[in-house]
Amino acid sequence: MDDVVVRTVGLARRYKMGDTFVDALQGVDLEIARGEFVALVGPSGSGKSTVLNLIGGLDRPTEGEIWIDGKELSADDEKALTRHRRQHVGFVFQGFNLLPRLTAEENVALPLMFGGVPEKERQTRARALLERVGLTERLTHRPTQLSGGEQQRVAIARALVGHPALLLADEPTGNLDTTTGVEIMHLLKELNQEQGLTLLVVTHDPEVAAFADRVVRLRDGQVDA
Amino acid sequence: MKLKDLAKTVLSNLGRHKVRTALSAVGVTVGILTIVTMVSLGIGVQREVVQAFQSVGLETIEVRPVTEERTVFNQFADPQRTVIITPELVEELRARDDVVYARPHIVPGRGMRVYLAVGSETMEVRVGEPVWWDWMDDPFAEPPEIVVGEDLAADTQGQIVISSRTLKELGYDEFETLVGQEVALVLVTPRGDRQEFPLRLVGVVDTHTGTNYPGAYLNAADAAALKAWWYNDPDLLENDGYDSLSIKATSLNDAVQIVDLLEARGFRVETLKTTLDIANRALSIVQTMLGSIGGLALFVAAIGIANTMIMSVYERTREIGILKAVGASPGNIHLLFVVEAALIGLLGGIVGVIGGWLLGIGLNAGILAYFDYMDVPMRGTFFFVTGWLVALALGFAMVVGLLAGLYPAARAARLDPLEALRHG
Repeated sequence: MDDVVVRTVGLARRYKMGDTFVDALQGVDLEIARGEFVALVGPSGSGKSTVLNLIGGLDRPTEGEIWIDGKELSADDEKALTRHRRQHVGFVFQGFNLLPRLTAEENVALPLMFGGVPEKERQTRARALLERVGLTERLTHRPTQLSGGEQQRVAIARALVGHPALLLADEPTGNLDTTTGVEIMHLLKELNQEQGLTLLVVTHDPEVAAFADRVVRLRDGQVDA
Repeated sequence: MKLKDLAKTVLSNLGRHKVRTALSAVGVTVGILTIVTMVSLGIGVQREVVQAFQSVGLETIEVRPVTEERTVFNQFADPQRTVIITPELVEELRARDDVVYARPHIVPGRGMRVYLAVGSETMEVRVGEPVWWDWMDDPFAEPPEIVVGEDLAADTQGQIVISSRTLKELGYDEFETLVGQEVALVLVTPRGDRQEFPLRLVGVVDTHTGTNYPGAYLNAADAAALKAWWYNDPDLLENDGYDSLSIKATSLNDAVQIVDLLEARGFRVETLKTTLDIANRALSIVQTMLGSIGGLALFVAAIGIANTMIMSVYERTREIGILKAVGASPGNIHLLFVVEAALIGLLGGIVGVIGGWLLGIGLNAGILAYFDYMDVPMRGTFFFVTGWLVALALGFAMVVGLLAGLYPAARAARLDPLEALRHG
């Protein structure tokens, strides 16, 4: 298997804002190797999150190609995009995006439900991951009963439960205080080193970027060489 | 996504807004309640009619003689009969293998005044057909029953059955001693001629609440003798025949053959089956009309459910975004919302079916109490909920919910995950 997990070729995304068009991305070429921890940095509006969303299959490119594990991601095929989100990537958002009425364990197990994994196995995998992120005592707590850092750990566990090839994190420390933010980054770094998890983290915080193996800078929708 | 997970998720979603779910379901409840009540009324009445008819037998054939057309020349006279039910015809029919019985009837003559003499007491009575025949005229009434002695033996002469009401009016409370005694029917013409017909009392009949029953019952032969004297026509049966004839065939198929035979000879023939068919058709129309009222309520309910679901999609936009981000397909989202809407319909339907059933029981009790109060001799279950009605009502309620959920579900499934995540 190719050792490149993600490859984008001439990735472009144009948004329509009223009568005008805005080019969020203009030909981004990016390669992330297996087990690599890449930080995507740049000022606001540079197109960082757009790259993340395109690679994660939440958005569709106007032009260009995205290759995941040596296969091109077809932007026109809704089923393929769903499968991609379910099997190949895990998302960690700035705002955690947990479902408030589900417990920590249920939130982590949620992606497996759509994959048709049996309940017993879902439970086992969710508990193992919550244990790994240090939340053994918090299995039955709901998001509102958890601190910001704990919520983000639940979100990380949820992102990992489907054994994705790639973890995508969009400002994962953005809603956390500095100490907690550092803890979360340590956790991500550990996962990267222990399990060889491939990570793409979008941030504007140099301290967060410092955890990465490689930093890619974006400016005005292009990779800043 | 497994069925169990789907059920769990949907129930949890509905449970989040219990009041809203309940209110959306109320519309369906009203619609289903109306339909169940109305249709169960149709079924109940139909069932009562069919039962009443069947207890007499659908193989029963009613034959009438044919009379000549009224013209300018005979308009004031009794019309002459052209095709008559002769005693020979009755015998011929009785000889057939496919005939269970053939019972001729005589209708009392016009203006005929009949007095009943028991011991020294006398009173005017209405003379009627044997008990079983009268009961058929009123299918809802409790059938008259012989309380003392026995019914008239078929084709005998000289027997009489008297109603308990008549005997009480004559001042008799003890019926046992009367049975077997000789009583008499007396005919008196306007000119004062009188003729006594001695008869033996064989039984006393209780006609319950029915007030329109005759006071005395005779076999056709005795009734014919009374009528022959009244019209001063000793050959009445030979000339005019019986007034009608009831035939019971061994089966419905045999009945059809006998009907063909009699019609070929020019008789007017009626069967209970043709009457029942007409009654059934009329009831079906009423049922459809009443059911439509419920249908209209359900249409309004569907709009309510659709509105609830559209609001729900709007409120849960962000949640839908999250679900899509973690791997839910548009199909999964669609299914979640459609099943949710169908379940609202089903919940409303369950309450509606139970409510309709209870309302039917209540109304039935009310109707029977009213009949009692008005002295109407009618009993029965007029609201009848069958298994298929329950199944159909619940299925219908669910389909209404499902249809109402289709558009909101499609909207939810179509949501762009990125925009949904940015929502609220």
